[in-house]
Amino acid sequence: MAADTTTVTDITGAAERQRRLELKELLNKKYKWLGWKWDLVFWTTAIFVVAGAADITKQLFAGDWDHWTDWKDQQWWPVITAFATIIIPSALQYIQWAAWRFPTGATYTACCLFLAAWAGRYFQWDLAANYPLNFVWPASVVCAGILMDWTLMKTKSFILTSLIGAHVWAIAVWAYNYVPLAAFLQPAYFMDHVVTVADVQGIAYIRSQTPEYLRLIERGALRSFLGETQYVSLAFGGTAAFVGYWIGQFIGRYLAVWPIRRYLKTV
Amino acid sequence: MAQAQAVQNAPRSSGDGSMTTGNPANPTDWSVGWHPLFWGCGLIMLANVFFWYWNYAFMFTAGLNSASAEFTMYYWTLFWGELIVLGVFSGVWLGWLIRNGRAIEGQECSPAEETRRIAILWSLIGATSLAIYLMASFWPNWDGSWHQTMVRDTAFTPTHIPMFYFFFPLSVILAVGTYIYGRFHIPALYGKDKGFPWSFFLLIGACVLECMAVAANEWGHSLWISEEIFSVPFHWPFVIYGWLAAGMFAVWGETLVRMFEVEKAEEAAHPESSLESPLAAD
Repeated sequence: MAADTTTVTDITGAAERQRRLELKELLNKKYKWLGWKWDLVFWTTAIFVVAGAADITKQLFAGDWDHWTDWKDQQWWPVITAFATIIIPSALQYIQWAAWRFPTGATYTACCLFLAAWAGRYFQWDLAANYPLNFVWPASVVCAGILMDWTLMKTKSFILTSLIGAHVWAIAVWAYNYVPLAAFLQPAYFMDHVVTVADVQGIAYIRSQTPEYLRLIERGALRSFLGETQYVSLAFGGTAAFVGYWIGQFIGRYLAVWPIRRYLKTV
Repeated sequence: MAQAQAVQNAPRSSGDGSMTTGNPANPTDWSVGWHPLFWGCGLIMLANVFFWYWNYAFMFTAGLNSASAEFTMYYWTLFWGELIVLGVFSGVWLGWLIRNGRAIEGQECSPAEETRRIAILWSLIGATSLAIYLMASFWPNWDGSWHQTMVRDTAFTPTHIPMFYFFFPLSVILAVGTYIYGRFHIPALYGKDKGFPWSFFLLIGACVLECMAVAANEWGHSLWISEEIFSVPFHWPFVIYGWLAAGMFAVWGETLVRMFEVEKAEEAAHPESSLESPLAAD
């Protein structure tokens, strides 16, 4: 019995070694035409479509909270931003993991979004419309992307990444952006009222299409949570990010990978 | 330069590519398979710089009132100019693609020539990717900043005119043109007998639906919520339709799988010389 077990183990081990050798050979294989230029063209040109998709998703789901310092509040900003910004990183995380086992998709998308968001804010909001950058700066998700990719790398599971990584995402988006935001939450005495510096910016820089009533935030029953609004919002932000993560997985799985070599006629 | 021209001209004359007839050029040289990437992206960026400067120079002096003479001079002229340029470009380019494609349809092509054609397809996809970024991120940023500083009086604003009526249709033309190129030049993947690929169905669908969402957007702003709140519900279709552009990754994926098949076929045909060939420059 023991000898049989040893034999089976040896055969399994030999097969595993053989498989590894085959993979190693494939890894070091030299191709005639496939080379670094294909990598360079793919990774460079994909920046544009990834940045466009990530930025339009953020702008039209959470743009109101992303474009102004006085909208970066405790109640809505952590929830809506976490949901809107995780969708495309999740899709790219699936694509890059499925294609190369690279745990880099969320970070790649976050960097693309960073470039696109800052290009937009500088050229269109600052240079063209004269809004100061310290009023319209975009939230960054680079830190959250690194942490979510790290979660996938360690767990090797999309389900665990969605459960753990999505909550990490919500917390990281808030914590990372709280650093630049903190300066604008300092109190200021303005027109006989104590307000924040961000509020002063919101009053000073006219936004003709943003009605004032929309800024009446933090008015719900969460006030009864003894000032713990922030933490309740972060917890719910994690839940919203969990939903966003699976929307992104749907995009990656069924709109990017599933259609490979599939044709309408043959479905 | 002369070498690159020879490579470009040879397949047209022979139909099966010149790579097997002694031409030493590599189909993946920057000046051979990839040159449409540089030309395409260069022209798109040139158009973008032109529109950016035009708006920067004239939007506050001529773009505030769509009924004014200045608006007619600077923006209606721009609008009609865009439509004429896009109409002529799409007619000439798509017509050229179809005519050239029909001329080579059914002809065999060498692995080297197929490699060059896949590189050209990737170049066109790269240009489409840039156009999608400009329509989905760069110009919507300006549209947002314009709406926050100015109340709109029409669907034709200084930011809408380049964004909705140039870059939106441009992405449709590029996506359709890229498919037509693949349809005739890469029959192993996109030939008539294969059926219509899901990858291009999604990519073209994304671009077409984005154009349709413009109408829904203007209708919503005129009748429902006039304020330019970013997250109003009738902006959401722009996002959801944009997700369909993920089909671009399927195009990359299936052409890359095809490239491995091409490499395998070449290796089987020339096992001893596949890596020593002067074509293997990468």
